[in-house]
Amino acid sequence: MSTRTAPPAAITVAGLGKRFAAGGAPVLDDVTLTIGSGEFVCLLGASGCGKSTLLNIIAGLERPTSGTVEVASGNAAVMFQESALLPWLTARRNVELALELRGVRRDRRRNEALALLDVVNLADAAEKRPHELSGGMRQRVALARALAQDRQVLLMDEPFAALDAITRDLLHEQLELVWRQTGRTIVFVTHNVREAARLGQRVLLMSSRPGRIVNEWRIDDTGPRRIESPEVATLAIEITDQLRKELRRNAA
Amino acid sequence: MPPEVIAQRDPELDARGRTDLRTLEAGLDALQTGDVSSRSGVRRILGGVVPPVILVIVLLLAWQLYTVVAHPRPDLAPGPLDVLGSFGSAWTSGRLPVAVLTSLQRGVLGFLIAVAIGTPLGLLLAEVRWLRRALGPLISGLQVLPSVAWVPAAILWFGLTDATVYFVVLMGAVPSITNGLVSGVEQVPPQLRRVGTVLGASRLQLATRVILPAALPGYLAGLKQGWAFSWRSLMAAEIITVGGTIGFGLGSMLQQSRELADLAAVLTTIITILAIGIIVELLAFAPVERRLLRRRGLLVATAVGR
Repeated sequence: MSTRTAPPAAITVAGLGKRFAAGGAPVLDDVTLTIGSGEFVCLLGASGCGKSTLLNIIAGLERPTSGTVEVASGNAAVMFQESALLPWLTARRNVELALELRGVRRDRRRNEALALLDVVNLADAAEKRPHELSGGMRQRVALARALAQDRQVLLMDEPFAALDAITRDLLHEQLELVWRQTGRTIVFVTHNVREAARLGQRVLLMSSRPGRIVNEWRIDDTGPRRIESPEVATLAIEITDQLRKELRRNAA
Repeated sequence: MPPEVIAQRDPELDARGRTDLRTLEAGLDALQTGDVSSRSGVRRILGGVVPPVILVIVLLLAWQLYTVVAHPRPDLAPGPLDVLGSFGSAWTSGRLPVAVLTSLQRGVLGFLIAVAIGTPLGLLLAEVRWLRRALGPLISGLQVLPSVAWVPAAILWFGLTDATVYFVVLMGAVPSITNGLVSGVEQVPPQLRRVGTVLGASRLQLATRVILPAALPGYLAGLKQGWAFSWRSLMAAEIITVGGTIGFGLGSMLQQSRELADLAAVLTTIITILAIGIIVELLAFAPVERRLLRRRGLLVATAVGR
């Protein structure tokens, strides 16, 4: 733990529980956590541990069975594993739609959308439709669209899981740059230990059935890391050991 | 991250990292998005037109050969030239143009009325779940019922008037259009709805900006089927209901030719009915559908297959 003063809370989750069927097994059980403003938090766990459910509840897409969630800035932007771009709109118009639904005036949307596409280095592809873009480019358009929502909190649900390793590596760098430039609070759900160790300032490990946060690592931010670096590898080994311990506990 | 920490960072280093990433991403993008060279429009149209035209010519030649070689009774098996002659005389006498115009006018008007009824009905069913549960099976059932079955009832209700014809056309076309729209809305990927919600769309915005555009291909398929059912129902209605204030359509002409035992005229009428169906499909629906699907990248597979 570092000694610096904690930033103001961006997301406060208290005593959160979720069951999909009344009387069924809880998917989430008594999850309590506070995420500071501007933090980059990775939520890590095996598939089925409820991490996406937790993210959806924070996003307001699902309702908790018990407990409370508070997002200080009111709302959150969300990015999914599929880019979920509207296939009949060009990249620019997809971003413009987010601006429009946010209430940006018509005459300013075009330039703002182009500027956001430039942030993800896609200004040249602005007039292309999603099917003409590669998977990585689509996720970058989705990132630009999420930025267009102009919300302090950005929730990401395994956004790079379907991409190849080379593309993913560049997108890690892209996301880190965006985070440093915009000071967004990012909650990043993943099942990839190395990805979590590469990106997060804080890594939260979730257990399965019921989903709980069982461990936490804080990583001092000493500037950009690389996924191949020994520090990331050391941390990944430590986290993986813990993760396996949780899996063994599930088998028992 | 608090703003003051950003300020501490070396801006020059950040800028260099940014330019480097830009170059890397540009390189990868160029690799992953090869130019999809589409074939020229002329070649594509030729590729779509030439095979069916050749088939028609071959069929006509075989037919002519049969009449020349086998000498069948001309009143039972007229040759293509007899049909062509019959077509020419029906056209110049003005009977055929009148019939085509009457039927086409009715078909188009009936179809437009069916769209005006079927579309709001489909929206209502797509939006209100209990209504869909209640009415959905009935509408699917109506699609199975041949609309010609309504002709006797319609004659009893409306007499030998245009209302009878339109009623039968509507019973044929409305269920298809409604069903097309409902299934189009049902097939909208759930993640598009979720993204609309996340982007802060109101219920109305979600419907007009996300769900309806996403449902367009299904709706168009329903419209296509609706037109086919309109045209078929119209012909059935015109064949059965002759006289009264009902004008002279292609169906009436078909029925009249049968009464005169003029097989060449019967075949002329059948071919005209078929040709109009094909022309409307090619001129009205095919271009819209191709454009719609190409924009969404749904046409690539079929284009390669051709």
